[in-house]
Amino acid sequence: MKVYRGSRGTRALDGVSFTVPKGDIFGFLGPNGAGKTTTIRILATVLEPTAGTVRIAGHDLRAEPMAVKERIGLMPDEVEFYPALTAMDHLSYYASFYGIPRRDAKRRARELLDRLGIGDVATKKVKTYSHGMRKRLALAQCLLHDPEILIMDEPASGLDPQGMRYFRELIRSLNGQGKTILLSSHLLYEVEQLCEHVGIIDRGRMVAVDSISNLSARLSAGAPTIINVTAEGVTDAALAALGAIPGVSKAELTPKGVAVTVAPGSDVSGEVSKALVLAGAQLRELKAEQRSLEDLFLALTRGGSP
Amino acid sequence: MTGPASLRGWGVVAQHEFLVNLRSVRLLIMLAVLALVVVGGAYGLTAGPGAGGFSLSPLVAWGHPSIAPTGEHLAVVWVSDPFGAPLADRSVTFLVGAQGQEEILGEVRTDADGFARLAVGNRTEVVVIARSGVAEYGLGIFFFDPPGNFTTAYRQDDLDNDGLFDDLGIHVVTRDGAPATAQIYLNESMVTSANSRGYGRVELPQGQSNVTVEVAGERETIPQYVGPPFQPPFATGPDFVLLIIAGGFAAFAVPIFAIVISFDALSKERVQGTLDLLLSRPVGRAGALLGKFGGSFAAVAVPVTLVNVAGLAILTATSGKAPTASFAVAFLGLELLLIAFYVPLQLIFSTLAKTSGTAILFGFLVFLAFNVLYSVIASVLSLVLFPNNFEAQFRFLQVAGLGNPTSIYQQLVAFAAPATIGSGFGPFGGTTLDLPIVALAALVWLAGLLGLALWTFHRRAAE
Repeated sequence: MKVYRGSRGTRALDGVSFTVPKGDIFGFLGPNGAGKTTTIRILATVLEPTAGTVRIAGHDLRAEPMAVKERIGLMPDEVEFYPALTAMDHLSYYASFYGIPRRDAKRRARELLDRLGIGDVATKKVKTYSHGMRKRLALAQCLLHDPEILIMDEPASGLDPQGMRYFRELIRSLNGQGKTILLSSHLLYEVEQLCEHVGIIDRGRMVAVDSISNLSARLSAGAPTIINVTAEGVTDAALAALGAIPGVSKAELTPKGVAVTVAPGSDVSGEVSKALVLAGAQLRELKAEQRSLEDLFLALTRGGSP
Repeated sequence: MTGPASLRGWGVVAQHEFLVNLRSVRLLIMLAVLALVVVGGAYGLTAGPGAGGFSLSPLVAWGHPSIAPTGEHLAVVWVSDPFGAPLADRSVTFLVGAQGQEEILGEVRTDADGFARLAVGNRTEVVVIARSGVAEYGLGIFFFDPPGNFTTAYRQDDLDNDGLFDDLGIHVVTRDGAPATAQIYLNESMVTSANSRGYGRVELPQGQSNVTVEVAGERETIPQYVGPPFQPPFATGPDFVLLIIAGGFAAFAVPIFAIVISFDALSKERVQGTLDLLLSRPVGRAGALLGKFGGSFAAVAVPVTLVNVAGLAILTATSGKAPTASFAVAFLGLELLLIAFYVPLQLIFSTLAKTSGTAILFGFLVFLAFNVLYSVIASVLSLVLFPNNFEAQFRFLQVAGLGNPTSIYQQLVAFAAPATIGSGFGPFGGTTLDLPIVALAALVWLAGLLGLALWTFHRRAAE
């Protein structure tokens, strides 16, 4: 739990509990103001929780903060860095906290900056960097001490499509090296591409923690299925035939054909195809609608923006 | 997190903070300002024109009773700067009559050679007022009968700032008011001639001497006397100058230096997003704050000490005598104490303020309260707390100096100064408290401010 000090004692987090499996890329989602950043700052040891327990890599955050700090790497959302220092200056400074010998730190910094594509501006002042370059430097400082856990807050925000793809592949590569990654993002498509498990927070409480497929199945259970049919020549007679199929509760025209709403548990795809063909329609495609991560997100939260 | 773990990383943070500050333009600006204050003060108070001697009159009027071609009296005035350069187009007013009942005879502007002349009939006393800008110079012109073939006007000054009034300016005009061709003798030896405007200058020896002016073979001798060297207020020696610099100038400038360097030590980190990166490193909260303190302190202390050492060197060179060694060392040390008061104070504001602008505003308000308004605040407080009880008010003010770090610093400077000059220096007319009490108050302030900075940072750093 985290209670902010102040006259109103705002309770930012209450009842947040989740486990990130080792070696996972865990998507951490929530609407604006839900408590994502507060949670991330607690996990990164920036904020101290008012109550509760946090264990990272087996270490209690309150009792062994230094052990936690040495095992995590934080990539914050927006960081401008020290404008008058170079990327190399920054990495040398941050390396000093981990007792990395100066020569090794320099070599590692150079390797990282080269790998992240900003080696050619390593000795230029950060105030001359673009947004994308600063993002790459933020990742470099996060990886500098080779942490086993990466906490990334909106790593791809504000990037162009190439930059987003670059970061997506880099995150996969880091995960492939065994790193556990907690990824907070507004880009649900990115999360869907990268993460198997997600946690969704809303108004300071975790409303869901599970794999995306489990969450989808759980939310679909008991809900009607919609079959989207792409077809030409769907007549009123065809619609009536569809409506007569047991289990079908509604059939309505769409710009591409017809949408058929089916009662939970009913598998009527064959009957739907047959009825349409018999009614003279030309069938092109028939597809049961899947619930996207966005649907899950909107269903589980207050419906605000992610 | 307690103990050594909480201090972890302070050296790294301190070194970083120090280096970042060393690269800042504001440090260079403050260094220049402080150098002007301390080094300039050391030189100026010891050897400069402001060293306490009588200041020179910005203009001088030389008056002569002459005779016009018509036979009436002619008041002749030559206006120059103190070094004898003529001042053209300046206003000269000629008056007669007793004070308060003056009658203006006329107002004449000086010609290109600095002369203003007015025929005054048969009047025997004329008052003259010359003006240049806001400066005025008044004199009387007295006509005698019979008039001489030439008249002289003279004035002793210290024109070479050597502490002696031994520079004699002489102005000579002929009977009809024209510049005279004159030779000037000092103790019967010719030393110079009057220039085309009738002006000449002689440097007199100390003691009695005779200056003779000769015009067309006619001579006039003027006895002169030069007294012992002038004693300016700061001629009591370099210790007194150091007391003024340490207790006055530096007490004002060094806190500003400390505030300007440290005001955004933490607020800037928060705004640029690097505070989270710092706190997520293996560094304790106390370590981060003490690192910020150490780095900011060093970034102020190093240039301040360099400037102070330069100031002491200049002071020694210009006064020909070094200040008392113990006082000089104490000066260097107490400056560090003053920095150590103001840096943590500013770190508290830098932690609390949402923006760097708010942080520096808080800092300067406190600076004003401690350095400008404190005596007023304390006096008002004494009146409020002890109305109609002058004795209690007096005793309150005796200890009120302990409520202000700058006052404590000034009291410690007074204790460190040689007793002959330290007495009476400090807030509220000097302290009557004992040194251990003032020193203890300094320690309490130092520990209190650092403790408060640590506590504030621990609670509010990242929120």
